Amino acid sequence: MGVRCVELPGIGTKYELETEKGDRVAIIFLQSRHFQLYVQQKGAFAPSAAEISPSEARRLGSLLSGAIIEAEKETVEIAFSALADLRIRVHTYLIRKNLAGKSISDLQVRTRTGVTLVAVSRKGRNIVSPPPAFTFEDGDIAVAIGETEQLQEFERQILES
Amino acid sequence: MEEIALALACCLVLAFLSKRLALPAIPFYILVGVLLGKSGLGLVPADEYTRYLSYLGLIFLLFYVGLEIRPKSLLRQGKSLAISGFIDLNVNFFAGFLCATWLGFTTVESFVVGAAFYVSSSAMAVASLVENRKLLFPESETIVWLMVIEDVLLILLLSFFTAGSENPLFLLPAILAVTLVLFAAVRAGKTLLPALLSRNDELPVLFTFTAVVSTLYLSRLLKIPDALVAILLGSSLASTRAPLLERLSQPFRDVFLVLFFVFFGITVDFSGTASLFPIAALTAIAIGSKLLTGLLVGRILHGSYGAGVEIGSSIIGRGEFSIAFAAIYGSGAISALIAAVVILTSLAGSFTARFSGRLKAFLPGE
Repeated sequence: MGVRCVELPGIGTKYELETEKGDRVAIIFLQSRHFQLYVQQKGAFAPSAAEISPSEARRLGSLLSGAIIEAEKETVEIAFSALADLRIRVHTYLIRKNLAGKSISDLQVRTRTGVTLVAVSRKGRNIVSPPPAFTFEDGDIAVAIGETEQLQEFERQILES
Repeated sequence: MEEIALALACCLVLAFLSKRLALPAIPFYILVGVLLGKSGLGLVPADEYTRYLSYLGLIFLLFYVGLEIRPKSLLRQGKSLAISGFIDLNVNFFAGFLCATWLGFTTVESFVVGAAFYVSSSAMAVASLVENRKLLFPESETIVWLMVIEDVLLILLLSFFTAGSENPLFLLPAILAVTLVLFAAVRAGKTLLPALLSRNDELPVLFTFTAVVSTLYLSRLLKIPDALVAILLGSSLASTRAPLLERLSQPFRDVFLVLFFVFFGITVDFSGTASLFPIAALTAIAIGSKLLTGLLVGRILHGSYGAGVEIGSSIIGRGEFSIAFAAIYGSGAISALIAAVVILTSLAGSFTARFSGRLKAFLPGE
């Protein structure tokens, strides 16, 4: 059940996998940086194929690796198996009107919930590591990092306040 | 100057059209040239200046081809590649050669036709595999590597042709010496070159352009064909930062190559020599010989004629290299014939590649 890797000069690289049940899946990294994804059901005559852009590929990748994706709220869970199964989640949240005009230190995010805000996306621009004095606006998307319980606490205490 | 603008503007419109119709653009570029040039409206003459620009297209194409030739990964393909390459060369070269001899061309002219018959268009084959979503099939690997081995044999054919006109005793050592010097130079600059190429300013582009253009001078100095020097330069540089160099040289290749096709079309003279019968006969045999190649390779390497149809139908289109042979070595009559064969096979090939599934239905017992 290993992945077979083939160099295709002029096209890119092909990774091919035959699943336990006998279906075939192949991913081609094209030189245009796009991807082609092929799926051929066992016994089927022809495969189905999809062409995928880099950003679509990233979403698909995090979907397959076990994270949940919802509109405007996505989570990526990172598990460090070497660190006693440390699991950390990165979650995005849409900031609504109720938090507009408040700063991170006003809300005491870290002391109350243990969650760290690592970035805020505002109108297509990203602010990485926002300072405590950073003030939210309606429509900001905040990236929060923490354990599952801490993130639930953040949702309950901060977002729904 | 306005001629180049006119030609390029026509090409831009037709290139857009061909992409919309998912057809190869090369036949359209040649047709633009034919319409604007000698055989058509006579609007655009070919002079020294345009010839030089279009020749740069050829040199950049061959440099780019060289970048894709990496001896190590070729050797890894081993026996299957040797088999498919051998069949491809023999079937197609002799089909073209014999057909041209039968039509009454001289031996030298027939050699040019044979070479033009042999080399499929790598660009078209690769584009059609991606567009028609055929990359899952193991045949696609055979096709892609066949295109690479054709490029390698292109080097041999080019040397062979010049050996006919120059003194081989002088030529072969000269080619060998250039190869050795180029590879040794690249090896000596192993730390210097990547540092130069990954700089953030205009130096990488300037270096690439200068290196490729100086092949013209180097080849004149040593009396070796510039086409050959360009491929060798690319192949020697392939060991440093091939993907980066491809990205750097691609814009030059794209623009100058379009000019190359247009000005080839402009100089082609369709009056008199090339009548309908030889064109039809050559085109039919050109399509048939690649299909036969596919069937043989498919049967031997993949154990089925169905795989063979897939291979054959993807490599029917002749293109850039056939035109290159015609442009460098072809006489007037030969050039017109090859232009016609390229236009017809490339269009036919794009349809056979798209509908290969239906072609398979014609096979008995599949």
